[in-house]
Amino acid sequence: MTTMQRIQHDRTDGSHEPNESSPFAPQTPQEVEAMLSAIDADSVEELFDVPEAVAFDGDFDVEAKSEYEVRSEIEDLLGRNADRTEFLGRGHYDHYVPSVVDYLSLRSEFLTSYTQYQPETSQGFLQALFEFQSMIVELTGLDVANCSMYDAATALGEAALLAARVRDTSGSRVLVPETIRSERRSVLENYADGAELTVETYPLDAGNTDLDALSDLIDEDVVMVYAQSPTARGAIEERLSDVASLADDHEAAFCLGSDPVALALLKEPAAVGADIVIGDASVLGLSASHGMGLGLFAVKEGYLRQVPGRLVGTSETADGRRAYTLTLQTREQHIRKERATSNICTNQAWVALRTAIHIASLGASGLASLAEECVTMASEAAARLEDVDGVAAPVDDRHHFREFVARTEVPATEVVDELADRGFLVHEVGEFEIQVCVTETNSADLDDLVAAVREVLV
Amino acid sequence: MTNETPDDLQYTDSHEWIDDRGDARRIGITDFAQDELGDVVFVELPEEGESLESGTACAVVESIKAVSDIYTPVSGTVTATNDDVLDRPELLNTDPYGEGWLFEIDGQVPDDALDADDYREQTE
Amino acid sequence: MNYRQATWERETDSGESVNEPLLSEKRTETVTHDDVDLPDELVREELTLPEPAEPEVASHYTRLSQMTYSVEHGPYPLGSCTMKYNPKFIEDVAALDEGSIHPDRADEDAQGTLAILHGLQEYLAEIGGMETATLQPPAGAAGEFTGLLVARAYHRSNDEDDERREVIVPASAHGTNFASAAMAGYDVVELPSDEDGRVPVDALEAAVGDSTAALMLTNPNTLGLFERDISEIADVVHDAGGLLYYDGANLNALLGRARPGDMGFDIMHYNVHKTFASPHGGGGPGAGPIGVVDELTDFLPDPHVRETDDGSFEFYEPAESVGKVHGFHGNWLVLLKTYAYISRLGDGGLKDTSAMAVLNANYLASQIDLDVPYGPFHHEFVASAGDVDAAEFAKGMLDEGVHPPTTKWPEIVDEALMTEPTEALSKDQLDVLAEAFTATGQKTPEELSEAPTTTAAGRIDQTSAARNPRLSWHDVEADDE
Repeated sequence: MTTMQRIQHDRTDGSHEPNESSPFAPQTPQEVEAMLSAIDADSVEELFDVPEAVAFDGDFDVEAKSEYEVRSEIEDLLGRNADRTEFLGRGHYDHYVPSVVDYLSLRSEFLTSYTQYQPETSQGFLQALFEFQSMIVELTGLDVANCSMYDAATALGEAALLAARVRDTSGSRVLVPETIRSERRSVLENYADGAELTVETYPLDAGNTDLDALSDLIDEDVVMVYAQSPTARGAIEERLSDVASLADDHEAAFCLGSDPVALALLKEPAAVGADIVIGDASVLGLSASHGMGLGLFAVKEGYLRQVPGRLVGTSETADGRRAYTLTLQTREQHIRKERATSNICTNQAWVALRTAIHIASLGASGLASLAEECVTMASEAAARLEDVDGVAAPVDDRHHFREFVARTEVPATEVVDELADRGFLVHEVGEFEIQVCVTETNSADLDDLVAAVREVLV
Repeated sequence: MTNETPDDLQYTDSHEWIDDRGDARRIGITDFAQDELGDVVFVELPEEGESLESGTACAVVESIKAVSDIYTPVSGTVTATNDDVLDRPELLNTDPYGEGWLFEIDGQVPDDALDADDYREQTE
Repeated sequence: MNYRQATWERETDSGESVNEPLLSEKRTETVTHDDVDLPDELVREELTLPEPAEPEVASHYTRLSQMTYSVEHGPYPLGSCTMKYNPKFIEDVAALDEGSIHPDRADEDAQGTLAILHGLQEYLAEIGGMETATLQPPAGAAGEFTGLLVARAYHRSNDEDDERREVIVPASAHGTNFASAAMAGYDVVELPSDEDGRVPVDALEAAVGDSTAALMLTNPNTLGLFERDISEIADVVHDAGGLLYYDGANLNALLGRARPGDMGFDIMHYNVHKTFASPHGGGGPGAGPIGVVDELTDFLPDPHVRETDDGSFEFYEPAESVGKVHGFHGNWLVLLKTYAYISRLGDGGLKDTSAMAVLNANYLASQIDLDVPYGPFHHEFVASAGDVDAAEFAKGMLDEGVHPPTTKWPEIVDEALMTEPTEALSKDQLDVLAEAFTATGQKTPEELSEAPTTTAAGRIDQTSAARNPRLSWHDVEADDE
């Protein structure tokens, strides 16, 4: 036998003996011996060509556990997350994910396959991604959607880099709304830095773009103007066409941030002049998941060769059958290296699959109704809070989607803390401003939230 | 299989051909180059009127799995581009010295251009 | 092996032969928003999407799944990708409701999530020999980019960013290394391998200098070889004032045997979807945490997790943080699965993972007829298909019921077949895989050119896909007309 003692695997879930072997490596001691003998080696250790000076012979101090023990430990730990009803949004939303999404996406064929570099044996996943791209094309009205970026923030960073590349003349400025989440702006700045772009904000006026201010700020040095609808404060942006024209006048790309539920209702981006659409598509397909996302990325046809990330297209087999394949791969890092359109390799394909299944299971009518409810629920919730003494809602005199900002007579910090004590989480967004997000997953608790707000403001 | 190397053209180390047509020099990629690349799926050309230094990358030829920069062997101003290859990149494969030409430029053929024999020797 | 993948070939209404119609070719619905309380100019005129009933959704995606080869079907020895078994229980752990919280919760309402993030920071630091690790980067390439942002912030803090404009990358490195360096604003200097397939120290000495920001290296390298001169390499880079970056794609070879921190690396990323078994999901999501040495912890992304005096956990912004690389906290569900996997294996299981991965690669290489020009290799080896085009060889292997290796890369080996069986293949499955290599080697060029014949689709015309891109069902419809 070898210097490395393998024991038979612990095959039980409950009781366990200290593991010296991985339960996920199937070799028996006899097989190890046979394999060593086939390669003329005395021990597994001698296969490691690691110089003494850098060899590690210590421990990580991680004690092996049984499956049951690990589950129990994690259940205990996660149990420390306070039991609260979240009325939280601001770029990350919780919609109900139907069971069919879990059961289908968790099939091991989808879950445990790799990127489809051998398309003949990956037709199913490729078709699912092609259908995802198609859904995004329909929702945005643009010509091309890729099969995912990491999240909305990184998609925005990629959009700025694309905008700089497609311009005939160089430029160095990217304009974003002052209400953009600071986190999203920070990601954008990190992407922009390497390309020597700077990020500047333009002001809003009563929740929508201040066109005069934007017009003063924009010049020929601007490569991209970014706007959001709904905005981070939940307002539907009513001046997108004007923003698009301003950008167009200065040869800047116009990038719109949105999400697939909002897009099912609002004027399609192509119709308001968007050149690029980014956003978080995991509002469908994933639960809150601590902010895990799915970067939506769609562009008009002229930008096709500059798109970052993977694209699935159709082709044919020799016998004339339709088939799917990753295509236009020369844009990507494994071929174009430092001149690639992006460094992205691993993406969020499985989340895109989940989002596609979710959209399919809602259908056009289900998705349209869900989007309409996001307007109704936000407006009802604002009206209910407006009725509470000491609250004015919504602060911005606009139409809202899912969420809105409310002004409170009491400092927002106090309101947020006292609501948390009562089991409800809302955002603090100003000294006397809170933000409330309502979807079908928390609307049943709206009465209780309103009652709690009333108590807090007494 | 041997590649075609017409005697009446001149060549570069980086597999471009030069056809001296009197008032301009026509540039394309050689039969050897298109064969190495495989099916060409996309071509990017310089702009007409653009002025180029010899040796600068001014066009791109892509196959499924490779990207090649095309370096102009001639300095000067681009006088014509072959826009047909933008829609039909396969012309570079089927007729690299004919319909698959890339652009024309008004400068002179450089002294270090190879003749057909030298280029054949280099690619054997 | 007698193998056949499922397919449900039929004709669509337009007469096209397909394996399974698109959702859009079944039933669609066009809806309008007549009752919504918004001005018309803000509302789209109509929306057209598929409208399948749930049984149709289930059938559609079940069929698609069965036209997708996966790790659980059999060998999937893609070199550099570490396609190992993904334990089932980690999915159940990730599905726990208590773990699915909004990213904006206050620290006191998210103590469980923070405890796990902190625990994973510590696990990864220990495994890599680093001071701590940030979990925010959502993939390996994002980790590389983040690591280079950290390197750049470090050089900026020393007022050296203006001159340190180069990142050195070995020619055989992953393509992401080049692309990440470019995205971080660096010029890439490519370093050719020496004849043994390793980094030549003399060439490195010539390449480094005042303009060097970092060297990016993977160890074992893409040929599976340990860079034996690693200590010397580290000295050369450090003496020049540069930082040493470790690409963690090949960490599965070294768990418990060697740590990047001990080798002299300053920054590293971990591909948790490779080394720590979170599933690849058809291309993602993964996670690419980066570990750093003590001197660099102040530059890590915002926020980082720390334990407070009272034993609770909190997010904080490191003093000279590079800011954010993900809009929230990265791919949480993937990180949670990683924590569960490491907890399950413990020290012994982690060490055994590398032992069995290396043994499997060595055994497999001994059982195939092809030349493996470089060694001694560890968890992967690069065989040469010889006179046969490696891409054609791969198509032939598909008909043997296995997934082929990574092909044509690294380029230092002619017609490369980069093969990584991982620890998860049993001896029996390794023998099946070896037999697939042998059977494929016996195929004639003509047979290979017609392969595969057992998969849902035969050989696909890549040229037509690229010359005439059809990227959505709208393009397919337009093409039909």
